[in-house]
Amino acid sequence: MSNNLRVKSSNYIDETTIVSFKFNGKNYHGYKGDTLASALLANNVHLVGRSFKYHRPRGIMTSGSEEPNAIVQVGNNAAITEPNVRATEVEIYDGLEATSQNCWPSVNFDIGGINNLLSPFLPAGFYYKTFMWPASFWKKYEYFIRHSAGLGKSPTKPDTDIYDHKYIHCDVLVIGAGISGIMAAKIAAKNNLKTLLLEEKTQIGGSTIYQNSEKFKIDNKNSSEWLINEINEIKKLDNLQIKTRTSVAAYHGYNYLLARENLTDHLSPSEKKGKIRQRLLKIRAKKVIVATGSLERPLIFNNNDRPGIMLSSAVKKYADHYGVICGKNNIFFTNNDSAYESAISLHKKGIKVQAIIDIRENSKSSLVEEATNLGIKIYWSHTVVDTVGYKKINKISLKKLSNDGQSTTGSKINISCDCLGVSGGWTPAVHLFTQSGGKLKFRDKDQVFIPNKYPSKQISIGSCNGDFSLNDIIKNCLNSLKKFLEIENIEYENLDIINPIETEKRNIWLLPSDKVIGKTKPFVDYQNDATAKDIKLALREGFRSIEHVKRYTTTGMGTDQGKLGNMHALGIVADTTGVKMSELGTTTFRPPYTPLTFGTIVGRNVGEYFDIFRKTPMNNWHLNNKAEFENVGQWKRAWYYPVNNETIYEAVQRESLAARESAGILDASTLGKIDIQGSDASEFLNRVYTNAWSKLGIGKCRYGLMLNEDGMVYDDGVTTRLSENHYIMTTTTGGAANVLGKLEDYLQTEWPELDVYLTSVTDHFATASICGPNSKKILNKLIPELDLSDENFPHMSFKEARIGKIKCRVMRISFTGEHSYEINVQANYGESLWEHCMEAGKEFNITPYGTETMHLLRAEKGFIIVGQDTDGTMTPIDLQMDWIVSKKKYDFIGKRSLYRSDTIREDRKQLVGLLTENPKEILEEGAQIVSDLSKKPFEMLGHVTSSYFSPNLKKSIALAVVRGGKKMMGKKLFIPMEGRTINVTIVDPIFLDKENKRLNA
Amino acid sequence: MLNYKSSIIENKKYSGLSIKEISPVMKLNLRGKSRDFLSTIGKNINMILPIEANTSSSSDKYTSMWLSPDEWLMVSNNIIDKENNNYEIGDLLFNKISKTNLGAVTDVSDQFVLINLEGEKVFDLLSSGCPMNFNKFKEKEGTVAQTLLSQVDIIIHHKKHNNVNLFVRRSFSEHLFSWINDAASRL
Repeated sequence: MSNNLRVKSSNYIDETTIVSFKFNGKNYHGYKGDTLASALLANNVHLVGRSFKYHRPRGIMTSGSEEPNAIVQVGNNAAITEPNVRATEVEIYDGLEATSQNCWPSVNFDIGGINNLLSPFLPAGFYYKTFMWPASFWKKYEYFIRHSAGLGKSPTKPDTDIYDHKYIHCDVLVIGAGISGIMAAKIAAKNNLKTLLLEEKTQIGGSTIYQNSEKFKIDNKNSSEWLINEINEIKKLDNLQIKTRTSVAAYHGYNYLLARENLTDHLSPSEKKGKIRQRLLKIRAKKVIVATGSLERPLIFNNNDRPGIMLSSAVKKYADHYGVICGKNNIFFTNNDSAYESAISLHKKGIKVQAIIDIRENSKSSLVEEATNLGIKIYWSHTVVDTVGYKKINKISLKKLSNDGQSTTGSKINISCDCLGVSGGWTPAVHLFTQSGGKLKFRDKDQVFIPNKYPSKQISIGSCNGDFSLNDIIKNCLNSLKKFLEIENIEYENLDIINPIETEKRNIWLLPSDKVIGKTKPFVDYQNDATAKDIKLALREGFRSIEHVKRYTTTGMGTDQGKLGNMHALGIVADTTGVKMSELGTTTFRPPYTPLTFGTIVGRNVGEYFDIFRKTPMNNWHLNNKAEFENVGQWKRAWYYPVNNETIYEAVQRESLAARESAGILDASTLGKIDIQGSDASEFLNRVYTNAWSKLGIGKCRYGLMLNEDGMVYDDGVTTRLSENHYIMTTTTGGAANVLGKLEDYLQTEWPELDVYLTSVTDHFATASICGPNSKKILNKLIPELDLSDENFPHMSFKEARIGKIKCRVMRISFTGEHSYEINVQANYGESLWEHCMEAGKEFNITPYGTETMHLLRAEKGFIIVGQDTDGTMTPIDLQMDWIVSKKKYDFIGKRSLYRSDTIREDRKQLVGLLTENPKEILEEGAQIVSDLSKKPFEMLGHVTSSYFSPNLKKSIALAVVRGGKKMMGKKLFIPMEGRTINVTIVDPIFLDKENKRLNA
Repeated sequence: MLNYKSSIIENKKYSGLSIKEISPVMKLNLRGKSRDFLSTIGKNINMILPIEANTSSSSDKYTSMWLSPDEWLMVSNNIIDKENNNYEIGDLLFNKISKTNLGAVTDVSDQFVLINLEGEKVFDLLSSGCPMNFNKFKEKEGTVAQTLLSQVDIIIHHKKHNNVNLFVRRSFSEHLFSWINDAASRL
C-alpha cells in the first residue's frame, strides 16, 4: 500500500533508487533521500512508539531534531545498536533495522498500555510520594522501578565504530544553513573571512528550499529558485567550508563550540566499513553567526498526542520535500497563518483539506484569502476539544471559543480526519545562544523569547532572532551583518522581496475543553508524558520556581529536552500564577542540543590511546625478558622479572637475595633529572633543600629533601656537583614535572635575582643502576680505565667516563644500601649499555630487578619513598630525618612552617619500623594500628605504609606512621584484621646495616 | 662499543603524508639573557639567535628555535655520527657560555626525538590532535610553536611549505608516533 501516499517526484528524493529496510521486524521500501520517518509515513505507518509513562501510542510529530515521539532503536548488533535516535533524522539505507522503544511485547500490543487506564492514579510526583513507605521496602520497589525506567537499550559490547576529533579555527562560524545562514556565509566568505557553515540536515537551504508558493518571491523569482542559485554560488567559494549532517552540540564561552559531524550513519553497513562514523569538531571562531531558525509550536488541547497529529510545518515538509502525504483527509488547527501555507500546498497537490480550525477571530492575509478562494472551510474562533482514535486519529471534536479564550461555548462539531496538522506559532531556537551565556528578552507581541545581550562576538539572525517573515529575515539580517562583520558595501542590498503579511495574532497556552481539566489529557511534554494538569498540580503543591516545576513534573527532561512544549509549560505557569512571562524566565538550556554518542565525545582516546605511556630506552629488553610491568605515573616500569612461572613473591625474594649477595641491576631511567647551571646554583640548592650545599665538593653527590611551603616533604633525590656552577639534580619519578615547575616558578617569581638556569634532561639520559658486593667488579669490566678505588671513587661521588667512544656519567650512590653505581649515558645508547652490563655481570649472576625488589631493598635500609611513606602531611622530623634539616641556614622552602606549634607537636604521626610477633606474618599496607583493643570504636594510631618479607633478614618487616611513634620504641601494638589480630612491636625503621658497612664495602 | 638505537624504527608513508624520524641530530638547549650571551653565541655559531617569539633562524649547519625570552633549542641541520657523542660545537659553547657564567648550554640530543612530517596533509594531521590555530603558522616558514599533540608536549618547527619537524620527549615518542600513524590512517 506504499506508493499511493507519494504525491509527486521531489527534487530531494531519488525515486529510481529503492531502499529496503526493516522496522519492527517488517520489511519496507523507501527511496534514496528518505528519512526513516518519511519512509514510514509513505508506507502509512504512523504508530512508531509508546510514551514513557502511560505507554500511549505515539506517532511521528515533526520532521526534524526536535522530534519527541518517534525515537527508535537503530540496529540490533550488541556492539553498535543505538537507542533514542530520532526517526526524523535517520536517513534510510539498505539494511537499516530499527525498532520501536518503550513497548513490550510490541508497539501494537503493549502491556504497559494499562498505565494509560491507571493514569488518574499516576499524577506528577506519584513515584516520589508512593514509594516512600515503608522505608525498608525501597529495595524491593527499586528493582521494579529500575526495570521500567530508561528509554531504549544500551549496547552491551564494546563499540566497534571509529570516532575522531578535529580542531577547527575560523574567522566566522555560521550555524544553520537556512536562507539567512546561507546569505551570511556568502557575505563573510566573500569578504575574505575564513568561514565555516554548519547544517544539521542532509541538505542546506532550510525550509525555503522547498517553498513552492508563488506568494514568496525574491527578485521576481520564487524564493526557492532564488536560494538554489545562491547555494550554487556559495559552493564555489574557496573561503567557505560547508559541512552538512553536522549538529552543533554545545556553545561554550569565548566562542568555543562543539559540533558532531555525522559521516557514515546514512551509509549501508558495507559502505561504512572502516570509515570514521562521527567526528567531534572543536571549533574556535572569532565571530559566530547563529542562524538556527525556529521550531513550530504545537497547541495544547485534550488528547493532542495521537498518531496522526503532527506539526503543520512537518506535514508541509513531508509533502513538499519528501513527496509524502501524511493523510488523505487533513485538518489543520492553528493560531497563525503558517498552517494556511501547508493547507494550500496540500490542496494544490490534490490532497483533501477538510477544514482549518483557527482560534483567531479572523485574519486578512493573502494566504487566508487564497485558502478561502480554494474553498477550504475555515472555523474561526474555534478550538479542538477532543480527538478520537487509539492508534491513529480518526475524528476531532471542536467548539467555539469564548471571548476570553478560557472556555468553550455552543455545540460540539465532529469531523473525521486521518491527519491533524497543528501550529501554535513559532519558537526561536535560542538554545545555543543561551548556552553561550546570552540573555533573552520576552516579546509580548508574539509571545517569544529572543536574544537580547550577547556575551561574546556573535549575533543571531533570521527566525532564531525573532524575524519570521521573509522580508524581515532578509532586511534585518543584512543590517546586522553589516555592523557585525564591519562591511561597508553589502551584497543583496536592493533585493525586492514579496511575502504575505500576518496581521492577526492570538495565543492561548492551554486551550480549554468542554471537560474539566482533571478529565483531560493535554500533553505539554510528549516524551515524558507531562500534561498541563501535572503542571497545575505542581503549582497547587507549592512549587513556584520554573526549575522546580520542571523537576517535579519532568517537563522538558526527555531526550528532546522539551524543544516543543517548554514554552507552553512556561505559559501555563505564568497564566496560572499570574506572573509575567518575562519575569518567569526560562529553564536552563544545557548542551548537547541533540544527544551525543559517547563514542563521539571520546574520539580516538580509547584502547592504547586512552592514556599516554612513557617508555625507558631499555624497555625492549625488559619486554624480551618477560618482565611484568607496573604503571608509575605514565611510565611503564619493569616491576619484576618472573623466571619459570614464579609468582611476584617468589621473583622478588630471588631478586632481592641476588642483589644483596652478588649483583643486581635496575633500570632507573625514569628518575627526574634537572641540569642546573649558573653562578648562583649553590645558593639556589641551599634555598630549595633543607640541608646545606655550599660546601659540597666538586664531583661529590648529596641526598636532599625538598619541602613544600607548609613544611611537608615534597620530593627527594641525589644531586651531584659536576663543576663549580653546574649540578645535576635527580627527583622522584612521579614528581619530576611538578618539581621542575615549582623550581622554575620560584626562580621566575620569588628569586629573580638568582643567576640559575634549569633544563630538564630526564629523557636525555638512560640510567642503569648496578648494586651488590660484585658491582665494583662488573663496572671494572665495563670501564677498565676508571679507577674504582675507595680513595679515588668513594661512596657519594661522581666520575665522568667513556664506554668506548661514548661519554657517560657514573655516580657511586645507593638506594638499596649496597655498594652500587649508577651509569648514565645518552638515551639512545641505553639499551646497549644495559646489554653490556648484563654481559659483564654474567659471571656474577647479575640479576635484573624491578621496582618491587627496589622497594623491598630500600625498606630494609629504612629509606623512605616520597608518596608511599609520606602523604603530604609528614615533616622531615616526623620521618626521623632531623639530621637533614640544617639549623644554620638562614632560610629554605618550608623552614618557617617547621617551627609552627602544630608541626612541633610530639604526638604527630611519625615514621617507625614494625616487626610482627610471628616473623612469617606479612602485614597489609594500609592496615590500621591500635594500642587498646578493648576501646570501641578503635582509636587508630596510624597505619602501615610499606610491608615486605625480607629474604635477607628472613623475617617480615614494615614501615608505618604512628602517632607519637618516636617515643614508643619497643612498644607492643595491635593490628586488627578481619577475624584476627596481629601483634606487632615498634622498632627502629632501619632494619639492615645501620652502620653502612655494605655501602662502603 | 655501545650501539645507537633510536626509539622509532620505521618510517611511514600515507597518501599526502610521510612520517620519518631524523637521527642522530645534535640538540643543545641554550639559556641566557645578556647581550654578551647573544653575541658570544652569534660569533661561535655564525648565526643570530631569533629574538622574536615563536620564530627560528637557520644557517647552513644549525637551526635555532626561540622557546622563551631566554631559551633556545639549537639543532644540527644534518645527521651526525652515531659512533661518537662528542659534539665539538657543544663543548665549545659550553666552555664559552656555561663556564664563563654567561648562561647555560645543555646537551639535549636524546631528550628529544625529531619526527619529520611532510605532505599536503601535515596540518590536517596536526589539527586532529592539537588545539592550536595553524592558520597563520602555516603561512610562514620558520615559525615555531610549543603545544600539545594528543596531550603530549611537542615543539613544532615549520621547516618549509607542508614540512614540519616535531620535537617530542623521547619517553613519549613511541606513544606519539603510534598516535600519529593512527591519525594519519584516518585522514
